[in-house]
Amino acid sequence: MSLGKYLALDKLANLFNILKQNGGIRGTLYKLYRQEEAKDGVLVGEDKFGNKYYENPRYFYGRSRWVEYNEKFHLNYDASQVTSEWYGWLHYKTDLPPHQDPSRPKYKWMIDGNENLSGTTGQYTPYSTTRPKVEAWMPKKAE
Amino acid sequence: MSLVKIFSLSTRARVAGTSNALARFASSNEGREETVYPQAMAGYKYVNADDPNMTFKEMSNRAAQTLFWTELVRGFAVTLAHIFKEPATINYPFEKGPLSPRFRGEHALRRYPSGEERCIACKLCEAICPAQAITIEAEERKDGSRRTTRYDIDMTKCIYCGFCQEACPVDAIVEGPNFEFSTETHEELLYNKEKLLSNGDKWESEIATNIRADHLYR
Repeated sequence: MSLGKYLALDKLANLFNILKQNGGIRGTLYKLYRQEEAKDGVLVGEDKFGNKYYENPRYFYGRSRWVEYNEKFHLNYDASQVTSEWYGWLHYKTDLPPHQDPSRPKYKWMIDGNENLSGTTGQYTPYSTTRPKVEAWMPKKAE
Repeated sequence: MSLVKIFSLSTRARVAGTSNALARFASSNEGREETVYPQAMAGYKYVNADDPNMTFKEMSNRAAQTLFWTELVRGFAVTLAHIFKEPATINYPFEKGPLSPRFRGEHALRRYPSGEERCIACKLCEAICPAQAITIEAEERKDGSRRTTRYDIDMTKCIYCGFCQEACPVDAIVEGPNFEFSTETHEELLYNKEKLLSNGDKWESEIATNIRADHLYR
């Protein structure tokens, strides 16, 4: 164990690194306000909604990969805003981010947007996809 | 009494001391061997509390710990140390826990790469469903193929056993990886065919990757 590590200077270096990566003291305070945590990491990629995906293996498995939701969502971020392409990487199913994974299918009928719209006007409402079994008799009017 | 307390002569120790003396007295009368604990026997471990050390140095150390609240201070130090420690929890929804490719979440109806829906309305999933959550009606389509006109899943009945995806001969109904589909009302969880197909269109990338990751074990 080196002297710097013994005096916890590497922890201090991590702190300054975190402050630098999150845009100074003001930026770090904003990150803490919005995400309750400020971390340092490598930007792995960005999905089509502008969510950024980071990785830092210094944190333990389960905390080593994270997403920073697009700024435009502000505090209205939701876990379902992660795209299905990045879902597997974020959940530690694969180490390949989607832009480096050639086996991921890309069909033209695939659609974007997994966001859970419950409680908004865009929410799903069930409806019948068949005609009703019983139809009321409408007698023809005498001409 | 207070002096005795300071010097850590607990009641238990005092009682033990007196009874030992009594026992010694009795044993000397009856000529029996006194049993000394802890007994030094091979293969045995003495698990009860040891008698406190009664040398003057040890007694004054114990008294000092009581007087200066060192246990309290040490307890506060542990609390303070945990503030600077890395938390053991994950910061959902920014960080997410590990998930298996076999995870059984929200249902989806898949399509062939051409865009044709896979489901052929064989109703095996409806038959095997132990919660009877699936309702299927079928009709002949204009081109003569057999397709569903109604494919409803009551997600509030579903027990996520995965029998439907195991029963499906064409890999049409699958339990996708998504678990973030909680809703505010009950009716939003009564999925119909359109909803299930659009789930499949949204999640196809992840569903296909999961099936490929698991294909050696099926």
